[in-house]
Amino acid sequence: MKIYKCLKIAINMVTHSKLRSWLTIIGIVIGVASVIALVSIGNGMEAGINDELSGLGGNIITITPGYSKASGMGMPGHGPSSGSESVSESDAILGRNDVQALKSIPELAYIDTNIKGNAYVYYFGKSAQLTVTGVDQSVWSYVTTLEILEGRLLDPADQNVVVIGYDLSRNYFDEPIGINKILTIEEKSFKVVGILDEGSGMSSNGLSIYMPLQSAYQVLDDKTKNEYDSITVIAKDSADIDSVVAKIEKKLDIVRHVNTIDDKDYTVISMKQILEQISSVTGMITLFLGFVAGISLLVGAVGIANTMFTAVLEKTKEIGIMKAIGARNRDIMLIFLFNSGLVGIIGGIIGVFFGIVASYLLGGGLMSTPRGDSIETVVSLEIVVLALFISVVVGISAGMIPAYQGSKLKPVDALRYE
Amino acid sequence: MEQNKTLLNLENVWKIYKMGEVEVPALKGITVTIKKGDFIAIVGASGSGKSTMMNLIGCLDIPSKGRILLKDRDISQLNESDLASFRGKTIGFIFQQYNLIPTMSAFENVMLPLEFQEIDDKIASKRSMDILRFVGLEDKIDYLPTQLSGGQQQRVSIARCLATDPEIILADEPTGALDSVTGKNIIEMLYKFWEDEGKTIIMVTHDQNLAKYAHTIIELKDGEIIKTQNNQVN
Ligand SMILES: Nc1ncnc2c1ncn2[C@@H]1O[C@H](COP(=O)(O)OP(=O)(O)O)[C@@H](O)[C@H]1O
Ligand SMILES: [Mg+2]
Repeated sequence: MKIYKCLKIAINMVTHSKLRSWLTIIGIVIGVASVIALVSIGNGMEAGINDELSGLGGNIITITPGYSKASGMGMPGHGPSSGSESVSESDAILGRNDVQALKSIPELAYIDTNIKGNAYVYYFGKSAQLTVTGVDQSVWSYVTTLEILEGRLLDPADQNVVVIGYDLSRNYFDEPIGINKILTIEEKSFKVVGILDEGSGMSSNGLSIYMPLQSAYQVLDDKTKNEYDSITVIAKDSADIDSVVAKIEKKLDIVRHVNTIDDKDYTVISMKQILEQISSVTGMITLFLGFVAGISLLVGAVGIANTMFTAVLEKTKEIGIMKAIGARNRDIMLIFLFNSGLVGIIGGIIGVFFGIVASYLLGGGLMSTPRGDSIETVVSLEIVVLALFISVVVGISAGMIPAYQGSKLKPVDALRYE
Repeated sequence: MEQNKTLLNLENVWKIYKMGEVEVPALKGITVTIKKGDFIAIVGASGSGKSTMMNLIGCLDIPSKGRILLKDRDISQLNESDLASFRGKTIGFIFQQYNLIPTMSAFENVMLPLEFQEIDDKIASKRSMDILRFVGLEDKIDYLPTQLSGGQQQRVSIARCLATDPEIILADEPTGALDSVTGKNIIEMLYKFWEDEGKTIIMVTHDQNLAKYAHTIIELKDGEIIKTQNNQVN
């Protein structure tokens, strides 16, 4: 029998056992839809990270004192991760020499020196200990990824002014803090000139306070002038970040007299590296989600196999008839393989459809990050093609054994079957 | 028409069914020669081995002992797939229970054996239409078996059998499920076909009146031939 005739008979079989076919198809639909939906979440997360990469500028490089050999993830401005071998921050400092060394690197566009510490903040009779960050206000606006909601960022001419986080302005103290209000920080008065946007920047903290570096030295009295907690630099757009990082390390090694890795007492990390690390984590999450969804696809496959065994049993007499009128084993085999393959591909197509719908719904805000942003979901063509391919393969392989059994039936025995 | 040419030889054929430990001999040393153009009726009580004999003649089963030569070929020597296409081309079956594919229309059922033989669609569908017209069902071609009466279903099954133009037609109690008038119609249809086309027909029947149409009547009892009777063809 010609192959397309076998397909025709298989289609006839599928359409004449609608309920069972549909129940089986549902199994595959669920499997494929969950693969598409879950992987789209994973892909969306990766795409989101990549978005942030361009938004944050991958060309931000942060230098902090201290070094951990087990240097894993680090956030800019948070110091090195606290590995067992880390050099404590009090031992290592960043200072003028380091800044001078950095200035000699032509690929760097801006150099922002920061200090950070805790200070008592008074407002309307209430006080709280909050983190204050001193920034070099002459370059800060070029370096920072923070976005302003009201007012402005710091100006080079500013003195005794602050930019504060969104949460601090809205609901931290009894009274909201508006533009031009005065905060008292360690007995000095600061005028609020800017309020940051909610959730702006990657590591933003809604309770942050930013002020000019010189003011911060006055407020944070355990800090020494010309010593910094971190230095944030921006590479020129054209520069290759990894080689700039290498260059920075080379320069700093010289000024800090670092000869071996054991002497190393500072950490250079680029936003690019951080994002790459996050990317690899989200990649693993995608893989994991895909794996979980794959299990439901496997359950769907077992469903197909089960249905096909039933179908072969139920069609035993018809197999006998077909053999009596000239069907070869191969024909019977193909008919049942097409049957299960059809169930697979129909389930796959419907599953892709529902998967895309589900991923749009998930992306449309049903699911959100703790920060309240909706998670973007991305359905890639690759995953759609892959899902369809897998559902056909699953269908056919699940039908393999039942189809073989059916094809091996002896005509007399099959004809006697009632 | 070259009569007298041997088509089928059963040489001391035994069929023994194994039911667990028990061996049931359904056929005990059957020897028959069937020539081209024969119309043979096999009669006998229920359980005498008629269907078993038909299955062997139809290459649906192989003997436990003895040889079956179909057109000089030992069917035990053929592999599954050769046997299937040989069977498809040489033998047409008509069953008591019609054995149509329930999910296919009358036309599709008749087409099916031609499709297994990979006959060109145009030729096959013309052939199917002609045969359905011959059995008087040209207005029922799109009906499913369940939408047809027993007699009509049996006519579809005859059409399916004749579609491939088989050399041997095997009919196992073709009228067993039909009333006597319908049954007679069916037999007359077969008879006409036998007369016109010179086909070889082997038919199992209970009904002595129907057996009369055949020119040889073989009577089976407990797996053995107890009588072979030649009818004067009327
Ligand atoms: N597949 C089988 N397995 C076991 N015994 C069988 C089988 N087919 C037929 N028989 C037995 O063989 C004998 C002949 O059966 P069968 O050829 O069907 O008789 P008939 O068609 O003349 O009624 C009976 O005793 C029957 O029970
Ligand atoms: Mg019988």
